[in-house]
This record gives sequence, C-alpha cells and structure tokens, in this order.
Amino acid sequence: MLSLLIFLPLIAALFILVLPSRFQQHFKYITLGVSVIQFVLSLFIYLKFNSFAFAAGINKESQYQLLEKLPWIRLNLGNIGNLEIDYFLGIDGLSMPFLILSALVTFVATLASWEIKTKLKAYFSLFLLLNTAVIGVFCALDFFLFYIFYELMLLPLYFLIGIWGGIRREYAAIKFFLYTLFGSVFMLLVIIGLYFSVINPATGNHTFNMILMMDPANYADGSIFSAIAAKNLFGISARLLAFIVLFVAFAIKVPIVPLHTWLPDAHVEAPTPVSIILAGLLLKVGGYGIIRVCYSIFPDSAMLSAWWIGLIGVISIIYGALNALAQTDLKRLIAYSSVSHMGFVLLGIASSTIEGVSGAMLQMISHGGLSAMLFFLVGMIYERVKDREIANFSGLAEIMPQFTAFVIVAFFASLGLPGFSAFMAEAFTLIGAFTSEQVNGLIPRWMSVVASIGILLSATYFLWTLQRMFFGQPRLKGAADWLSKLSDINAREKLALIPLVALALALGIFPSLLFDKMNASVVAFVQLISGS
Amino acid sequence: MQEIEFSEFVGLISLLVILLPLFSFLLILAGRKGRGANLALINISISFILSVYLFFFIWNKQPIHYQIPWFLIGDIEFKAGVLLNNLSVLMITLVSGISVLVHIYSRTYMKDDLNIHRYWAYLGLFCFSMLGLVISDNLLLIYLFWELVGFSSFLLIGFWYTRPIASQAAKKAFIMNRIGDIGFLIGIIIIFSQFRTLDITALFGDMGLVKTSLVDKGLWISASRQMPEVWLSIAGLAFFIGAMAKSAQFPLHTWLPDAMEGPTSVSSLIHAATMVAAGVFLIARVYPVFDPFVLNTMVCIGAFTAFMAATIALSQNDIKRILAYSTISQLGFMVMALGIGAYSESIFHLATHAFFKCLLFLAAGSVIHQLHHYRDEHSLDFDNQDIRIMGGLKKGMPITFIGMCLASSALIGLPLSSGYLSKDAILINAFEWAGSRDGIYTMIPYIMVITSWLTVFYISRLVFKVFFSTPKRMSMEQANQIQDAPKQMSYVLVILSFFCLFFAFSFNPFSFESSWLWDGFSSNLFQKVNLYHWLIPLILNIGTAVLIFTAYKIYVKNDGMSISEKNIFHRFFIQEWYLNELYRYLFTVPVEKFSNVCYWFDRNIIDALVLKSVTLISILSAISHWCDRILVDGFVNALGTCAKWIGHFSRNFQTGKLQHYLISMLLVVLSFFILTYFI
Repeated sequence: MLSLLIFLPLIAALFILVLPSRFQQHFKYITLGVSVIQFVLSLFIYLKFNSFAFAAGINKESQYQLLEKLPWIRLNLGNIGNLEIDYFLGIDGLSMPFLILSALVTFVATLASWEIKTKLKAYFSLFLLLNTAVIGVFCALDFFLFYIFYELMLLPLYFLIGIWGGIRREYAAIKFFLYTLFGSVFMLLVIIGLYFSVINPATGNHTFNMILMMDPANYADGSIFSAIAAKNLFGISARLLAFIVLFVAFAIKVPIVPLHTWLPDAHVEAPTPVSIILAGLLLKVGGYGIIRVCYSIFPDSAMLSAWWIGLIGVISIIYGALNALAQTDLKRLIAYSSVSHMGFVLLGIASSTIEGVSGAMLQMISHGGLSAMLFFLVGMIYERVKDREIANFSGLAEIMPQFTAFVIVAFFASLGLPGFSAFMAEAFTLIGAFTSEQVNGLIPRWMSVVASIGILLSATYFLWTLQRMFFGQPRLKGAADWLSKLSDINAREKLALIPLVALALALGIFPSLLFDKMNASVVAFVQLISGS
Repeated sequence: MQEIEFSEFVGLISLLVILLPLFSFLLILAGRKGRGANLALINISISFILSVYLFFFIWNKQPIHYQIPWFLIGDIEFKAGVLLNNLSVLMITLVSGISVLVHIYSRTYMKDDLNIHRYWAYLGLFCFSMLGLVISDNLLLIYLFWELVGFSSFLLIGFWYTRPIASQAAKKAFIMNRIGDIGFLIGIIIIFSQFRTLDITALFGDMGLVKTSLVDKGLWISASRQMPEVWLSIAGLAFFIGAMAKSAQFPLHTWLPDAMEGPTSVSSLIHAATMVAAGVFLIARVYPVFDPFVLNTMVCIGAFTAFMAATIALSQNDIKRILAYSTISQLGFMVMALGIGAYSESIFHLATHAFFKCLLFLAAGSVIHQLHHYRDEHSLDFDNQDIRIMGGLKKGMPITFIGMCLASSALIGLPLSSGYLSKDAILINAFEWAGSRDGIYTMIPYIMVITSWLTVFYISRLVFKVFFSTPKRMSMEQANQIQDAPKQMSYVLVILSFFCLFFAFSFNPFSFESSWLWDGFSSNLFQKVNLYHWLIPLILNIGTAVLIFTAYKIYVKNDGMSISEKNIFHRFFIQEWYLNELYRYLFTVPVEKFSNVCYWFDRNIIDALVLKSVTLISILSAISHWCDRILVDGFVNALGTCAKWIGHFSRNFQTGKLQHYLISMLLVVLSFFILTYFI
C-alpha cells in the first residue's frame, strides 16, 4: 500500500518521460490524476487507521501499521559483519497525517502548475519525482532508506527552482541546495556512527533500523553512541553531538533562525507550485525529522537541549514575525511568516508535553495547508500582472471580490482566528509550553508568554497587508492594463483553494479529526522521550 | 433519565438559537447580490422567540448544562456544550432581542446600499458569535466565539472598505482586540495548566476548583498541581486585559471611537449594546479567579475610564463619537462595579444600558439618515454627523426627539427611568464599599459622582444642540421640514423607548432591590446603609437639575454663557487626551522601525555571514587550486621534465661507436674498484 503511494508518481514520471513531446499538454492531467489517486489512497489509509494505544507505533515495530519489510542490500563485509539494509516502510500516528497533507498539497501544486508553459516534460517528471521522495521520507523506517529519500528531494527541487524560477533563480537554487546539503552531509556521518553502534538483536548484525535505534538496549557495548558507554567526541558527549548535528540538519529545513535565510530567497524565486511544495511539505519534513529521528533516537540529549530549542522556537516566532512586518514583497512576507509559524512547532516539541507535541503536529498540518493556500493566492496575482509589490496595489477587493474573500479567509486563518486550524495548533503549543515547567521542568513559563506576542504580530502584518492591498479605492501601478488582466478567480483556482479552506475549517472546528488519530502515538512519544 | 432528555432538548434549542444566524451568514453569502434582508430577519426573529422561551424555562430555576465530547488530548477530554443559567439566558434574550430591532431598523437605514447582502451576512455572523459566546460552557469555546465577535466587528466596521478611514479603523479595532485576546489566551493557559480543565462549572462553580484552590506560602495550590502565587494574579490580570480590550477600557479603548466609521445600526448593536458588553460578561463568568489585587486594579481602571471618557465626550462634536465615549464611560461604571463586588448591579446596568444606548445610537442614526437625505435632495453641503451645525430638529422629528430624551434621561439616571435604578445602585454600592476602605479608594465614589454629573452635561449638550438650538448651514424653516425617519425605523425607537422606563425592570421606580433583574443575581455583600439609599440619589439629582438648566442656558438660550474653545482642558479633551498620538509614538512607530532593523539585520548580518562563508570557501578553493596547479601539478610536471632531461642526457651515451662503449665500461669497472677498495 505504502509502496504504491510512493512509487505511483515515479511510474507516472517514467511514463511521461517516454511519451512523445506532442502529448505535452496532457502531462498535467496525468500528474493531476496521480495526485487524486494518492489523495484517495491516503484518505483510505486515514479512515482505516487504527488509533488505539496498541497501535501507537513510535518505538515498537509491531505497533506500526502497513508495515513493509524486505531485505534490500545484504553484503558480507568480512570481519565487520553483514551489511543489512532493509526496504522498511510503516506508519504510525505521527507520520500518517503527513500522507494526507502530501497528497493534498501535491494536488494543489499540480493545479498551480497550469501556469508553467516551458519544458513541460522535464517539469512534470521532476515534479513527480519530488513527490515520490517526499512521501518516501514520511514512510521510511530504515535510516538508510530515509536518507536516500531525504537526499532525493534535493535534486528535483534544485532543478525546479533553477530552471523555472524567477530572475535570480540560479542564485536561489544553489543557495537552497548548499544550505540543505550542508546539514545532510554531517547527518550521514551520524547515520554511519549509529549503524556501527546498533545491533539487531534478531540477527546479530549492525542495522539501519530506526526503531531499533530508539531502544538503548540495542546498542553494542562500548559503541560510540551507546548511552551506557557515554563516550565523548571533541570534548562533548557523543550522543549530544550527534543530536545537535541531526537537529541542525533538520532545523535548516524547518527553518530556524538563524539558519533560515535560504527560505525567503528560495520562495521568492521559485515558481508558485514549487513554493507551495516547499512551504507545504518540505518544511514539515524538517519538523517530522526532529520528532522521528532526533528526539526518538536521542531523547536524553533532547532533554538536555530543550531549553535551547524552546528559545530558538521563541526567537523564530518573534523574529520571523518582525521581519514579515518589514516586507514590501507579498511573497517574501509570507515566506517570513512561515518562519514565524514554524517556530511554534519547535516550541511545542521542546516542551515535550502531550499538549505541546499535539499542538506542534497540528501546527505542521495546518501550516502545510495554509501556506500552500497563501502561496497559491500570491501566485495568482503574480501570474496575472507579474508583480507582487504590496505598494503597487490598492483596493483589490473592488476588482477581485471573490479572490479577496479567499485572501481574507487565508489571512485570518493564518493569523490564528479560532475556528481555523492554526488557532487550535498555536493555542495547544502555548499551553504545552506553559505546562512544561510543572510537568517536566524543561521550558520556563515566560517562553510561552513571549511566544504569544507572535500571535499579535501576525495579526498586525496580515491586517496591514489587507488594508494596504485590498481595501481602499482601487489604484494599480499598471493602471488600465493591469485592470484588464486582474480577472477574478476561475474554476481551476477555486478547485485548488476550496479543499484547503475545508481542511483548515475542519481541523479548526473538529480537531478531533487529527487529535484522536494521533493521540496514542503522541502519548507513546512523550513517554519515550521523557523516559517514563 | 427524563432529566437528561430534557437537558438535551434545551441544548438543542439553544444550539438552534445560535445556528440560525450562522445559516443566514452562509446562505446570504452564497446567494445573490443585494438580497437576504428577509432571511436574516426571519432567522434572528426565530432565534429571539426561542431565546425568550429558554428564558422563561431557566430564569431563577435550575441551570442547565449540556455537553458533548469534542476532542481528546492525552487523557484529557475536551467537551463542547452549553451552559444556561440566569446570566446566559438574560444575555441571549437581550442580544437576540436587540438584534431583531436592529435588523428591522437596518432594512430602511441600509436600503440603498449596493452590497447590502454582505451587511446581512456579517450581521448574521456577529449574532452567531455573540450568542455562542454567552451560552458556551468552557473557556476555549468562549475564546473561539470571543474572537469571532472581534472578526465580525472587523468586517462590519470595514463594511465601507473603500473608505481608507473605515479600513484603518477596522484594522485598529481588530489589533487592539487582539491584545486583549492574548491576555485572555494567557489566562486560559494558566487556568488549564493549573486545573487541567476549562469547564466553567467545574472551575468557577460554587464549590469549583478555583474557589477550593488555596494560596499558601507563596504557592497557588490546586488539587493536582501548584505554581507560584504570582500566577494567580497574572491569570486575573490576563482575563481582565481581555475584558479591557473588548469593553474598551483605558488604555485599550481607542478602537471604539474609531469604530464609529461603520454603519450607525452596527454601532448601536455591536459597539453599544452587545459586543462591548462581552468584556463585562467575561469578568462576570470567571469572577472567582480575581484576587483582591486584581479587583482593586479593576476598580481603579473602571473609575478612571469612566471619568476620562466622560471628559472627552464633553468636547466632541461628532454625534456618534460623543455616544461612543459615553459608552466607554458607562462600561467603566460596570467594570468598576464588578471590581467592588457589585456583581448584580453591574449586570443590571449592563442590561439597562444595552437598551438606552442602543436607542441613543438609533435615534442619532435616524437624525443622520434624515439629514443625509435632506442634504442630497436640496444639494446642501454639510457634515451630517456634526452637532455644531444641527439644530431645531425637535419639531419635524418628534418621535426621534422623545426617544432621544427618554434614553438620555436613562443615561443620566433621572427618576422613573431605568438608568435611575441601575446606575444609582452602582453608586450606592460604591459608597458602601468605600466605607470599609481607606486611602485612595475612598476617592472612588466621589469620582463616580463627578462622572455622573459630567454625563448629564455632555448628553444635555447633545440633545440641546441637535433639537433645540438654531441650525447652521440651513434655516430654521428648513430644519423644521426634516421629518421623522420612515416607519420601520421609528417603530424601533418607540419599542426601545419603552425599555428606558422603570416599569420594564421594576414595579417600584425608586428601589433597585425590587427589580426582578437585580434579584436574579443578588447576593447581599455589604451592610445596607439606609442613609445612602435616599441621600445619594437625592444629591445626584439636585446636581443634575442644576446642570441641565446650565446646559439649557448655554446651548439654547445663548445668553452670554459660553465655554471657551481655547482653554487647555478643552484642547486636551478634544484631542482625546492625546492617547492616539502617544500610542503612535510609543508603539506603532517603534515596532515599525524595529521590524525594519530586524530585516536589515537579517539581510546584512545573518545572510551576509552565510554569503561571507561562501566567499571564504571560494577563497580556500582558489588557494587549493593554486596549490594544485603550482605545487602538485608542478611536482608532477617537474618529474616529467626531469625524466625527459635524464632521457636526453642518457641518449648522449647511445652514440653507436664501439670505443665510447668500451671507455664507459672501463670507467664503470674502474669506479667500482675505487669504491670497493678505497672508500
């Protein structure tokens, strides 16, 4: 089932590659079809998903659902034993929500790809390859496989930004590529270190199995990452160092301040669909990685670093929001608002409370949908007049009333209006962060209070934009020419936006749709990391 | 069993009460442009009828609490539900009742607007959120509706969004309210992490968790958890900040006067009668959480707000702005009353105020409406909201005039009016409260008395200027031609006028204790001091009579007495205490500057560092390239050259001549022997 979900786009990509170019107008329909099938499949998975405590997953292999485990690479390496790499997939409550999100965001991004006019064959095959990689990351339970999918995401993204992007696309693409690669190269070292530390009790071989890595009992005596051996590297605990390396690798993706500067550039230069994927899915891979890998494998180091991670979260929230306030380019504004909103994810995870982690998970799903929506909306203006400077527009509500209605919904949902998902997410993140001092003493209470100022700032920049661009008398830089181009929203665009609005509303009013499904996993996760 | 069914039944009815306006919101937005008036009116009327039904079911009887599971986090189950007790049934009846009247009024008032369907839809959203707010049974739900109220108010203030002032005002209102929302949210967070529940009955009930929690040795201890004592005060303050923003208390009140940019009917419903009362309602709901420190803060802020707003109202010239400040001032009374513990008096005043302030706004609205039409018909040019140019409207608009007078007398608190009952009750309680305090608190009741007298003056000024004095910009004859507003609007005024009189609330016009409404909430707090109960109203009313007479002299007779517009107080008041400017320089501008600094920092420090490190790498790579080319490559090339050179050199030996070979052989053998035997 999961393999089907992962490799369906890859098959479609190969299919597109062998089709002659004269069919290129149909490629988008193939892609759309794939994303619809994926969505239906993931919805089916969601409905069938078992949310009882005995199916919580996290650190118990038997509790994962839709497991697929095949021996993949077996090599006899002489005296260091057998190389054991598995094709190992499975989901639990912390990864299942991302499958739906991936399918939905891909669907929206495909609809946004209608505006791509050149080199369609290359574009759609890369796009589908990216899709394969993203879903693969969320399903992989073998660290080697995880890493392959993780790196596989970079390649199509690099080309998608570098070829179909804006004016400074090469700069943005290379910046993005190097930033992310910087993180993941060191990650590889940790992976190898973990491989040599962990022994599969069933076979006696070293293993890449992530679930086995979560159990301290599986570490070989005296191995570098063994918690009991407590080895040091460069003067600090090896486990802490490994945790920091992995955290930085994923945190670049999230992104955190101060490792975020690739994001505004990449977003501004990327074409709309890539921005959507980037904000909607790529950032979530970072958050997911922190939960699944950093925290689960190195819970002891995570507890030691909690204060700092919380602080980074708070700084990201406030700093990102302040930067957003200073922007004159609408897309850059939204890019910075992503930094701010993803800060809540870090804060929630750092609190290591059930409320905080649930809030962080909901925030990722919610932000995935909302940022996709925001970038789609910006893309609509940009495609029509090739401009998105806030100062060049005024009174758009008169010109494009339906479009403005969607903008109002997206803005208010993002700024945390109750009834939309972002509110529930942020509220529970803050509750978790506040409760932390009483429950586990990891995060001081003031962090939660300071972070709440971010909610005020987000209202400020979104409403200010609304006032400047959409209200007031119509006045455009491009005058009559723009006026004729700024047609109101069309059916395709509505088709893309309505599911996102529905997602935000559904999760805002009935958060149980998500909370109930992942509650058991969150509880198990918190138990794992707090060691109780 | 029967009881469960019954509460389920009541729960469903109350759900219907709040959902009907939501349906109008959704259906009208989906429907055609310019439609929706009937649907909106029908829905809200049914809501009202059901509310009245619920009112008679619940009032002074057993409260009903009905809830269903909402979601689960960890082992805590959140529930959504309705809590119907005296307070909530009073509020839903009040809100839906006034909404019905405003809906009827708006049919005429907003008739010519092209986007009227949006107006009806937003009004529906507002009613939904306001009704939801008052019947919700847990803090999270209240917060949800609380912000939705703010959102619908944003939409309605910015209804004429093409006007920059309106969209500016809408933004300001939302952001100011957001500050309060964050306070509220922090309050919720503190309560939740202390008590692990947000259910109002469980928390704030008679034997609720908050009342049973105790403060001991600097710790605030609940059944399961504890935190430092200071967080109890912070929680109280946080909730109070929430209430301050919604109920426009100093220093978060500046959005309300600006909100007058919305349609007048909206101002009357939202910014006078209902939404602004939400803050007072919230305080009433979470009352047990406030410790003495917070309560005293509340008293001071309420009293100060009441006084400050009254002074500003004295000097304003825009009819709606005067009323807006009057609202702020009256809300100050209510907040102060809650602070001193006069819970029932405060709620009582909230109810009477809702009616008379709504009437004041709607009467002002019909003045504005009629002037607007008259101006357009006769192509005159004047600001139809400026009281300085108005005058002489008494003759042509008797209904409006009488309505305005009745509402004003209630606002002033003249005998036989509803305000006399509720406001004097607050003042009497204030004196009783101050009797047991010392220091600055003894001043509070006197400030409130002065504020009441200021109220008398500003509202008399308004009434005299609008209805009696000689109009500017048009002749007295012209002014007399201006007729009462069309029937639908005028009927609403008549109905509301009824509620400004004492018999709507009490059979005895001079005793608030005999009011059914007060009785519904009363819990005798203070020793009743009989002296106050007749002395205070007496003194108040003597002062009132004098002031009304003075105002009449100044504004109608114009016989020599006038107030100079030059004096420093007047300037201070008309600039609204310079608070807007102050906020601008204290908050808006610095935040804007700071955000630009942050962005500069982001580009020129953080990003530059990254780029610098890239430059560093490229320098490194240039060096290694140099090494590669000159050293490594050089070495390899040198080897090659060397080999070539050796080859060249040794080629010289291959001459092909036998003698040369022999001589070299000889030399080799010779050197071998020399090396072997001599060294």
